[in-house]
Amino acid sequence: MATITERTKSEVKEIVYSFFAEECEADIEQINDNTSIINDLDGDSLMFLELIEIFKKKYNLDIELKVIGKYAVKHPVATIGQLIEMQLLIIEHENRLMELDK
Amino acid sequence: MSKEVVISGMGLISSLGLSLEENWKNIVAGKSGTKNITLFDASSCATRVAAEVPPEFEELSRNYIKKRAASQMTRVTRMCVAAAKIAVADSGIDFNQLDRTRCSVIMGVVNTGNSSAEKDTTLQNTVFKTMTNSMPAWISLEYRLMGPNFAVNTACASSAYAIAFGYEMIKNGQADVVIVGGADSIINAEEIKGFNALFALSVANDPPAEASKPFSKNRDGFVIGEGAGVLLLESKEHALARNGQIHATIAGYALTSEGYNIMAPMKDGEGMAQTMELALKNADIQKSDVGYINAHGTSTELNDRYETMAIKQVFGDLAYHIPVSSSKSMLGHTIGAAGAIEAIITAMSLRHGILPPTINYHEPDPDLDLDYIPNTSRSKDIRVALSNSFGFGGHNACLVLKKYQE
Repeated sequence: MATITERTKSEVKEIVYSFFAEECEADIEQINDNTSIINDLDGDSLMFLELIEIFKKKYNLDIELKVIGKYAVKHPVATIGQLIEMQLLIIEHENRLMELDK
Repeated sequence: MSKEVVISGMGLISSLGLSLEENWKNIVAGKSGTKNITLFDASSCATRVAAEVPPEFEELSRNYIKKRAASQMTRVTRMCVAAAKIAVADSGIDFNQLDRTRCSVIMGVVNTGNSSAEKDTTLQNTVFKTMTNSMPAWISLEYRLMGPNFAVNTACASSAYAIAFGYEMIKNGQADVVIVGGADSIINAEEIKGFNALFALSVANDPPAEASKPFSKNRDGFVIGEGAGVLLLESKEHALARNGQIHATIAGYALTSEGYNIMAPMKDGEGMAQTMELALKNADIQKSDVGYINAHGTSTELNDRYETMAIKQVFGDLAYHIPVSSSKSMLGHTIGAAGAIEAIITAMSLRHGILPPTINYHEPDPDLDLDYIPNTSRSKDIRVALSNSFGFGGHNACLVLKKYQE
């Protein structure tokens, strides 16, 4: 279980913003936490999985995709801000993510 | 009440060009798109030539398809989507003005080209790159179309089948617009070696441009081509109501199955003849009205012999007065895309009154004695033309196209 620092938050936000700007050919200045991934950026659900892979490597996470899948069904993500929040929860709780719902 | 079905938009990407105009210019000039293979190292293959889409396609693709979507498509799927966007632009149609639940996509897809020659395939995009419904799916996504969208696979007749199904939907009032066509590339080591093992491909590697020689005595197999052909179909009233252009009319078609052999056509072209006969009957066209046949014309021993016999069986003495040519002499065999690409060429022939040639026709086969439009295109105003497609597995298709007259 990792401790989320301000530096982690900043890193995650920067990676997520850069990822969407690059993949969706969007101006990073136009992206904010309220930006809709589907409606504003023409993004897709696969991007969520690709970001998880990026964070798994970066933070050496012990997390199974099925755990994230179960959590995401109960907590759908629509905006960039929501996605960042979920990534931070994944980094913090890894395979114990579902325990948050208990 | 059944509706008259017209072609109001066309997009074509092939070895001879990245636009309809460039392709048509090169086809009329009788150019060959066959060159040495560059997409992979073909030095270990008996066949080392193919009709590849020019590398400038990558720039065209970037102009038409967003990076994110492109990363989930194979090169062939990108060809299909780009050709669809060209066809839609050519038609001038604005989907915002239409009921999208009445707009459909049907593509002939044998495979998506996620082969050893494909680049940038990862675990995360391999499913999207491989699934054979991806071509119609991406096109429907692009325009948010919500009518039926699906792929049909009948080998080398696939995109002709797609056109036939699209025709039915328009004719019967099930859709207002149907985007039909196909794309294919089997220019990769495993499929070339596989077709070489069947003795289906030409091994006349030098010079490449002369390898595909349909109906010639020295023909020795087909040359693989690649590309995409997409057509926009709608009813004549629908096209006219929005002041759309009309390239040609589809008068009818026939689809048959031979139930005979997984590779060889029925002896003496019996199945091919039945298909053409039925297509003419379905389209209510007199044989004497047929002014041109765009043949399947693969440059294989059996196809060209049997297709010639079939044409003679259907048309009798008239056969000697109907010009027949093979676009595959110039573009190679584009497999799943061939039916659509050749329907487009047939429509252009009707519209412009120019019949494309069979190039590399220098050694006539004494047994094949029709007018194959040897080597040079011909000006001739025609009213009706047939486009034949015959696939491994006994899948036959014949489309009947008519010149559009106001």
